[in-house]
Amino acid sequence: MDESPAPDEQLSRLMARAQQGDSNAYVTLLRAITPRVRQLVRSRRGFLGESDVEDVVQEVLLSVHAVRATYDPARPLMPWLSAIVRHRLADAGRRHARQGAHEIGVDDLDVTFQTPVANSREETFGDPDALAQAIQALPPGQRQAVELLKLRELSLKEASALTGMSIGALKIATHRAIASLRRALQGTHEE
Amino acid sequence: MKTDELIDRLGRDVTVTRPLPTPGMRTAVWMVWALSYLVVVAVMMFAVMSSARVTPTPLYLVQQGAALVTGIMAARAALASVIPGANDRVWVVPAIGVATWAAALLWAGVLDLQASGTLGVTSQSDWPCVASMTVGGLLVGAPLAWMLRRGAPLTPNLTVGLAALAALSVANIEACLTRPHAFALTVLLWHGGTVAAIVTLCALMGHRWLRWPDMTTR
Repeated sequence: MDESPAPDEQLSRLMARAQQGDSNAYVTLLRAITPRVRQLVRSRRGFLGESDVEDVVQEVLLSVHAVRATYDPARPLMPWLSAIVRHRLADAGRRHARQGAHEIGVDDLDVTFQTPVANSREETFGDPDALAQAIQALPPGQRQAVELLKLRELSLKEASALTGMSIGALKIATHRAIASLRRALQGTHEE
Repeated sequence: MKTDELIDRLGRDVTVTRPLPTPGMRTAVWMVWALSYLVVVAVMMFAVMSSARVTPTPLYLVQQGAALVTGIMAARAALASVIPGANDRVWVVPAIGVATWAAALLWAGVLDLQASGTLGVTSQSDWPCVASMTVGGLLVGAPLAWMLRRGAPLTPNLTVGLAALAALSVANIEACLTRPHAFALTVLLWHGGTVAAIVTLCALMGHRWLRWPDMTTR
């Protein structure tokens, strides 16, 4: 890709043509501004890794696309673009901070703990056959929810699309299934 | 998805897009609606309550003028705030309007005190104005909210707060025109309190109403 910057007037002309529906001009414009956006993101968020930089770049491109009607062709493009980059970076920073507040960084833990008490097997269930039987004994809707969401690890949206059940119904079915499994396995475990 | 693939996808998705008119032009369009509302409601209320006419004094006209200017400037600021690269300090002019409006009401309160020996804080509750300003604000503000959604949600909380201020400034004029108030401080406390409460609420909810479109799920 050509990384040399295009003059501002050329970018403005390309955007004006893009607003008239010229697809080629639009692609040319996006390819021309992408290195500039990448450079802006890197210069303002030097600590971001390459994949994070690329995520922000893509967000900016999507934003440019979404609000291209707000560009006035009589004005230079770069201040308009820089404002979008600045605000999308701020949004990304806020999102990152929110996620960070709810996540705890954990080092890889050893399989066993140093303290013998912590190596209890009480928290795990060691009988896969009993678990499989308990799942088979569930009502069909609950069994399907567990299989899709817990065993195949599909998202709620994917499972909903596959089964035709609503997301709410899937959540309820899963909740009930887990409660039933806990009761069933508790009984097995006590025997 | 790689960035090059995204660019190709966006290129295929591009359609004819009419650039938005300038914020000043859009403000003028909104003001036509807001003033029409004001005229229609005022005429209806005058017809119903013919005895309850307001006597305009110079200070009263300054208050209403300041409210009107605040409404216009707040609407313009809100519409400018959704244009990337526009002035970042769009809120300054509406803030001056609000300060002028409050100062005119305070000055009228001082005159009330001199004339009647009281500020009249407890003399009159003003729930009808709170209700009419809330409903009026919704009616006047709805088209403005629709216009804002065509812009870029750069500062959604500020934008929605300014839009609420614009709508409520106009609704305040309607409330003042159609219901006479014995004391200026009643207007300051009840109308000002309503404006402050609703603007704060709207500003806090702004990021829920104005969002970047989630294009990744399309």
